[in-house]
Amino acid sequence: MNAFPPAQALSGRRPAVAVWPWPIALGLLTVFGLLSALLGQHGIWLALSWAALSLPLIVTVICLVRAWSRPSDKGGRS
Amino acid sequence: MTTATLRRWFVVHKWTSLACTLFLLIVCVTGLPMLFSEQIWDAFVGDDDPPYEVLPPGTPNASLDEIVGKARALYPEQIVTNVAPDDDEPAVLVSMAPSWQALKDDDKFPDRHSGHWIKFDARTAKVLKQSPPVDAPKAPRTWTAAILGTCTRLHMNLFAGLPGALFMGAMGGVFVASLVSGTVLYGRFMKRLPFGSVRRDRAARLAWLDLHNLLGAATLVWALVVGFTGLVNELQTPLFGLWRVTDVRQILKPYAHLPVPAQDHLSPVQAAFDTARRAVPGNAVTSLAFPGAPFGSPVHYVLWTRGATPLRARLFTPVLVDARTGNLTGAYPMPWYLRFLEISRPLHFGDYGGMPLRILWALLDVMVIVVLVSGLVLWAGKRKVATDARLRALGYDLDDGDQAPVSALAEGAR
Repeated sequence: MNAFPPAQALSGRRPAVAVWPWPIALGLLTVFGLLSALLGQHGIWLALSWAALSLPLIVTVICLVRAWSRPSDKGGRS
Repeated sequence: MTTATLRRWFVVHKWTSLACTLFLLIVCVTGLPMLFSEQIWDAFVGDDDPPYEVLPPGTPNASLDEIVGKARALYPEQIVTNVAPDDDEPAVLVSMAPSWQALKDDDKFPDRHSGHWIKFDARTAKVLKQSPPVDAPKAPRTWTAAILGTCTRLHMNLFAGLPGALFMGAMGGVFVASLVSGTVLYGRFMKRLPFGSVRRDRAARLAWLDLHNLLGAATLVWALVVGFTGLVNELQTPLFGLWRVTDVRQILKPYAHLPVPAQDHLSPVQAAFDTARRAVPGNAVTSLAFPGAPFGSPVHYVLWTRGATPLRARLFTPVLVDARTGNLTGAYPMPWYLRFLEISRPLHFGDYGGMPLRILWALLDVMVIVVLVSGLVLWAGKRKVATDARLRALGYDLDDGDQAPVSALAEGAR
């Protein structure tokens, strides 16, 4: 997710990254999750809804765990 | 993005967020117990209603005419006001009152309730329970009821009735504006930062900013949907009022001046239910109001029907059945703005996908609370930091094209 060559990261000038793919993906998952339970009503659609709405939460937790599990990573690697 | 535009977006985000954060925190916190109110209720209060008789499955329901007849026999001096079969249980609730006028006059006395109800077993037509008599000592209010009641009223209108509801609706609109402006800023702030970065190793402020951005991005669409549908829900009173003075008035106009017939001369209630069911196939009939009810017709049964799927469960279609003849007068689907309101409800309440969906709703709600709190921390912390230090802390380069927008940002933040 955030793999930077240390040299580049330490230079202080970060390369531009694609900002939107992740937020858009999570947003689409949310929309799908909200609608699949509403329109599908039962069975597989409910399960898909739960899965889709869980993913933004899971992704957030993974990001937080990664950030907190590497406290000594000074400098660039965010 | 030009300096001026960025500054404008920043100012919009700052002020819309500041305006609505306190109320959003109230709504997010009070929403949590509301989400699980049924479970909380069952766990801490339950009901002391007698258990239902165990009958072989498939036992047909008693005729509603029999049930209404029994209610009338119990209180021969009174009128029946409403008949409502329960959604989940084999029960029928019959509401009665001394007269329509007595019910109307209740408004003038805060503690007077002329109406009362009788709960029947839908299959055997036996009386299960009655509302406590008016002069009975009031049962002490339970903690559960007090907490849930307080939460609900804070959530909906801050204990301030219609003005409170409209204010909260406006806050919902401000919240949506804050989300949109926040999204624009996100694009600018995350230009050189991979998604999900939390820079813990530098200024504490950066960790808060990254947390705000990460959780904000993850919950953005959910917050937009729940915020916007919340705004729509707060408009329900004016929207229903609009419908009442337009369509409903038109429909009822030809009958408005007619006298209310005596209740022993009305067509059968069961037949009215059957007629309504045929008039709106696929819908369930949830209640029947007798002629003379407020906002109703003096000569019609008003039957409320609703859709059977989660999407349509709150989509109500009233049906008028002439209580003098038993004939169908018509079914009246709601106007588009009320249909929109009714579809907004499940998307706000999160109650259409079982317990897992409620739990996800609660977790997303908690994440939004973190976004709100981190936003407050950023705002409060920012005021202490000198502009230059702040710019360096934000990781912006001061020696290239970034400079202009960043100093604009600093201006805007002041």
